[in-house]
Amino acid sequence: MPISAAVVDKLRKKRDVAINGGGKDKLEERRKKGLMTARDRLDNLYDANTFQERGLYAEHNCTNFGMMGKSLPADGVVTGTGYVAGVPVAAFSQDFTVAGGSLGNIHAKKIVNLMDYALKAGLPIVGFMDSGGARIQEGVESLSGYGQVFFHNVLASGVVPQIAVIAGPCAGGAAYSPALTDFQIMIKKQANMFICGPDVIKAATGQTCTMEEVGSAAAHATISGNIHFVAENDTHAIQIVKQLLSYLPSNNLVDPPHKLPPTLSLTKHKSMEALVPEDPKAPLDMAAVIGKLFDANTFLEVQRDFAKNIIVGFARLKGMVVAIIANQPMVKAGTLDIDASDKAARFIRFANCFNIPIITLVDVPGFLPGLAQERGGIIRHGAKMLFAYSAATVPKITMILRKAYGGAYLAMCSKDLGADYVLAWPTAEIAVMGAEGAVKVLYRKEIAAAADPKAKEAELIADYRDKFASPYQAASKAMIDDIIEPADTRAALAMTLRNLLSKRETRPPKKHGNIPL
Amino acid sequence: MKKLRVTVEGKAYEVTVEILDQGPEGAPFNPQGVASAPAPAAPIVSAPIASASVSAPVSAAPAAAAAPAGPGSVVSQLAGKIVAINVKEGDAVKEGDVLLSVEAMKMNTYINAPRAGKVKKVNVAMGDAVNEGQSLIELE
Repeated sequence: MPISAAVVDKLRKKRDVAINGGGKDKLEERRKKGLMTARDRLDNLYDANTFQERGLYAEHNCTNFGMMGKSLPADGVVTGTGYVAGVPVAAFSQDFTVAGGSLGNIHAKKIVNLMDYALKAGLPIVGFMDSGGARIQEGVESLSGYGQVFFHNVLASGVVPQIAVIAGPCAGGAAYSPALTDFQIMIKKQANMFICGPDVIKAATGQTCTMEEVGSAAAHATISGNIHFVAENDTHAIQIVKQLLSYLPSNNLVDPPHKLPPTLSLTKHKSMEALVPEDPKAPLDMAAVIGKLFDANTFLEVQRDFAKNIIVGFARLKGMVVAIIANQPMVKAGTLDIDASDKAARFIRFANCFNIPIITLVDVPGFLPGLAQERGGIIRHGAKMLFAYSAATVPKITMILRKAYGGAYLAMCSKDLGADYVLAWPTAEIAVMGAEGAVKVLYRKEIAAAADPKAKEAELIADYRDKFASPYQAASKAMIDDIIEPADTRAALAMTLRNLLSKRETRPPKKHGNIPL
Repeated sequence: MKKLRVTVEGKAYEVTVEILDQGPEGAPFNPQGVASAPAPAAPIVSAPIASASVSAPVSAAPAAAAAPAGPGSVVSQLAGKIVAINVKEGDAVKEGDVLLSVEAMKMNTYINAPRAGKVKKVNVAMGDAVNEGQSLIELE
């Protein structure tokens, strides 16, 4: 006897109900508003017909506050695995049409089960956050659910890449799960993220503020630095996820998806010369340099709107995946400040977790002076860069374009912090401090005693600059490996990286270092 | 230069194509010998942000003794000395125009117009020392 039609029919009916979440009408209403449903998001993320769901028939087990017998399909979250551009990825997507996407015990259990599976299989995890918050009817069980998700975020950190899309409200404790992932993408109009919203702030402190100031994508992208990308809408957010995944390995035990051509063409590109201003005080546009240096249209800038004095992002160099950290002299003279240090250090740590080679482009006049910086703890924040670079064992190539002064020179992956290969342009100025400052310290008496102190000072400055504001002193001490013409930069970096891909470096085992936080 | 054969309504044409916009110079590496690598899609980037209420830090630096920053203010990114003033009151400016230059940290930092507009007031003179967040120019 074949399987009874009634049995199959029952399964199909159950599946149909569960798949429709909060009901067909609610799903349609969302689409009319231009929002994707939880399942639309996964359908758009995954290659056609590759999504394999887990936990579709899960139901809550709450009996309080009239919840008994009330059905919440899939308990408000869709979880499963599928393929993105042919690579397996785990994902969950909260369903706002089911009890506002609220997080209850089973909802959390589904997410945690998925994360456990992704950890075992070594799959990246993508989460779409669209939830009103804790399911209050479930009380502390819901709170505990958050705790378990956080714990698993941390277990997965550094093992598999984690990406969070803030696609709706993400309030209170819920905001901490995305915060524990590697990259956060926030959708402009429909998403908000905050610990305490304007009403709570008003009640607790009397301060008046708007949601725009507290929890918008713009506020997080520019000021708080909590997020990495801003998306126009669901489609754009998913494009960013896919683009990001294209640079990442599935887990920490494999290499990123380099696309190695069998040969390297080492053509000069003269157009690089036009980007180097003759006047050492005129800022060079690092964004333009990056555009020329790496494969066309492969640069994905991370945290573009935060701490613009440093640029970080992924790109390909002759097919090889690289993480770029570069000073931007067009903003705040390219100095390192608190925010820039935090931004760069976190990115370096990510690259090291996932075997992505680091290319550092240096044009830094120093750490930003100022009371706010000192009081804000630039010492411990700047130390993060020293720590992150020193602790990184991936290939580290440093290219000094122009200025490289003092502690900031060290912090930009100097040879002393373990750079494998350091290159410089002939325009590089590698020195402990600027000529003006150095001369004042070194020759205070001589200048005061001179017949014409101004002229004497100018003469000494020119002399100092000639001797020390160049790459040659550093090169003579073997602190840099080669001095090259700007036109040869792309070829030199590609050649070096190609032979560094096989780099291996081991350190003494320990639980973990103690990065200054 | 690349040779391509294009067929239009059954008729084949041989054309020579020069690729002008390929990013870094030199022919792109082409391992499969495909006539032309698929044009890379426009790069995916973070969406632009246009939001006046978050354009200035909420906990702004203690207001400089000089002109306080208002909605039309163009402020200094960092403390330094004014070494160039390229506009005067009444000038029309385009977004991105270099309005002034502040010297600090051995570098000149250009202060660009955040939007198009007319210069209402220039608050500083050549050689003035300015603070971070200080209003340098007011736009109408």
